[in-house]
Amino acid sequence: MRRSSTLSRIGLHATMLVLVVWSILPFIWTFQTSIKFTRDVAAKEPVLWGYETTANAYRAFWLDEDDINMWSVLVYILVVAVVCLILGQIGRRVRHSWPWFTAAVGVIFVALWRFPKVWEVNDEYDFLINSIVVTVLTMLISLSIGLLAGYGLARYTGISGAVILIVALGFRALPRTAFVLPYFFGAKEIDDWLNSSGVGSWDFPLIDFPGIDTLQILDTRLAIVLALVAVNQPFTIWMFRSFFMEVPKEIEEAAMMDGATRLQAFRRVIIPMMWPAIIATGLFTMLLAYNEYLFVRVLAPTEWTLPVAIVSLTGGESSRTITEAAAASVSITLPIVVVIILFQKHLVKGLGAGAVKG
Amino acid sequence: MNRRTFWGFTIPSVVVMLALMVFPLVTTVWLGFQKLLLRDLNNPEWVGFDNYSDVLTDPEFWAAFRFTMVFVAIVVPVTMVMGLGVALLLDRVGRGRSLYMAALLLPFIVTPVVGSLVYKDLFERGGLLSWLWEVITDDPFAVNAGNVKWLIIIQSIWYIMPFAMITFFAGLQTLPQERVEAAAIDGANFLRNLWHVILPHLKVLILFVGLISIMDAYRVYDQVFVWTGTRFTDAHTLSVYNVRVATAFDIGRLGKGNAIAVLNVIGIFMVLIPFLWRSYKDQIAERT
Repeated sequence: MRRSSTLSRIGLHATMLVLVVWSILPFIWTFQTSIKFTRDVAAKEPVLWGYETTANAYRAFWLDEDDINMWSVLVYILVVAVVCLILGQIGRRVRHSWPWFTAAVGVIFVALWRFPKVWEVNDEYDFLINSIVVTVLTMLISLSIGLLAGYGLARYTGISGAVILIVALGFRALPRTAFVLPYFFGAKEIDDWLNSSGVGSWDFPLIDFPGIDTLQILDTRLAIVLALVAVNQPFTIWMFRSFFMEVPKEIEEAAMMDGATRLQAFRRVIIPMMWPAIIATGLFTMLLAYNEYLFVRVLAPTEWTLPVAIVSLTGGESSRTITEAAAASVSITLPIVVVIILFQKHLVKGLGAGAVKG
Repeated sequence: MNRRTFWGFTIPSVVVMLALMVFPLVTTVWLGFQKLLLRDLNNPEWVGFDNYSDVLTDPEFWAAFRFTMVFVAIVVPVTMVMGLGVALLLDRVGRGRSLYMAALLLPFIVTPVVGSLVYKDLFERGGLLSWLWEVITDDPFAVNAGNVKWLIIIQSIWYIMPFAMITFFAGLQTLPQERVEAAAIDGANFLRNLWHVILPHLKVLILFVGLISIMDAYRVYDQVFVWTGTRFTDAHTLSVYNVRVATAFDIGRLGKGNAIAVLNVIGIFMVLIPFLWRSYKDQIAERT
């Protein structure tokens, strides 16, 4: 490699810093807004430093108790994060990592329980739990059926495989509006039928969800999950297919020579090799579900997820203050920052994977 | 793998796509021929091409069409050139690369509506950049119908550029080092190197990023919705216009909305069909 001079190195880093500022300036500004008092926010000249900080906005957006000390909340969050990090690091290093990862997820869920607005199912504040449910279910369904299809498409050499892939690619390109309107209409029709035939108010002995008395599609988390799984399928199967193509056929053929069926070979031999692919595809599926706005707004007018909640609660006519809007924006962004920091390699690999082969 | 096993593996995904993509698309076409109001969904009435003539004579449709075209024509090339430039810079950074990358990826990964909201806050009253504008030009700054289109375009470049950057960066990592060194020994300067070594190597990726960017820019919704809302309807793109027509409270026209959706689909397919055809040929060639 050519040795670059100190001067050009400084120039390079200076340019990168300018780019970084261009990237994250809005987030810094919003974070500042979220911890200011309203009088500083309303000041004509922006108060850039030396202002008094407060966590009132966060308290108003997330907590019901007015007298809670926000430092204790911060310490609480930090403790949970550290515990999860330790569990995760142990999980990465030992042979059976599953119990450790499960424990980490469990700790997060138990910790969330402390926040009153998380589990409150009073329609107005259930957006965080909705976001979690929608994201997790979309990932589970989308990845499991996508994994199977991706494997089939990578190994089968018939023409129908090519047709499925190309049609899926075409669907990837379509505007969301071509789907959201018929989904809305179809869900409405099904709901009408459920209503008029009385099926919707049947008592199903096994599926008795709390808070749901009549069966319907529109305005439920189910509608959002189905829509997201569908529009995510093309991406998922292309992504998994390209990862499966890298796994040599001989590996599962060897396992099948030893008497395993194809399904056994798939489960015991291929899947364990696919974890990087599953993590990469899972990350993008997660971001898709977590970030979705249009589908939720049209298909679930009251079952908000976080993005819809933020736009609706901070819109012009609402009484919420600018600081609260900023606090909400920061809160929804933080998990994503954590994801980037923890999984940057997988994200980059995932973006590269679909691409490098063209 | 024989045919039966293949379908065994693929059928769940295919059923989902048939039921939730193919079937809805057919429904869209059918609904496009109906007169159907949002507040009275039970009485569709067949009106033939009335919705289409309605759309094609609607000045708002053509305004949305024009802005969408301008949007695609500016955002796609700018993000690609910028993305390539930043990727080349990033490739030269040794220490601190992953830190830079994390910071640069943030706009692309963050929830689009939230990204738009925080970007918009810079330009609102009391925002950092609107204050800066006022200090420099001595004029007060306000988001208005005149500049909102440019603000949407700038913010979209901010949002989409990391995608091009990271894809090109991944491509640069597979560039054979010998070829760069050979070019350096031949005394090639940076521009010659870029033109004769780097760009040919990235050719497929450039096509890929270009297509994805065109697809995504053409159907842009979230940013435009956050910036304009119901205030600046002049700056609506096709998708926002489409959703507004179909779901406007109490006056939503679902039939007309579906006709617009069909036109949008036809529009993107005119760009896409040559590419799909080529991919199909590649797939067939791979199999024989």
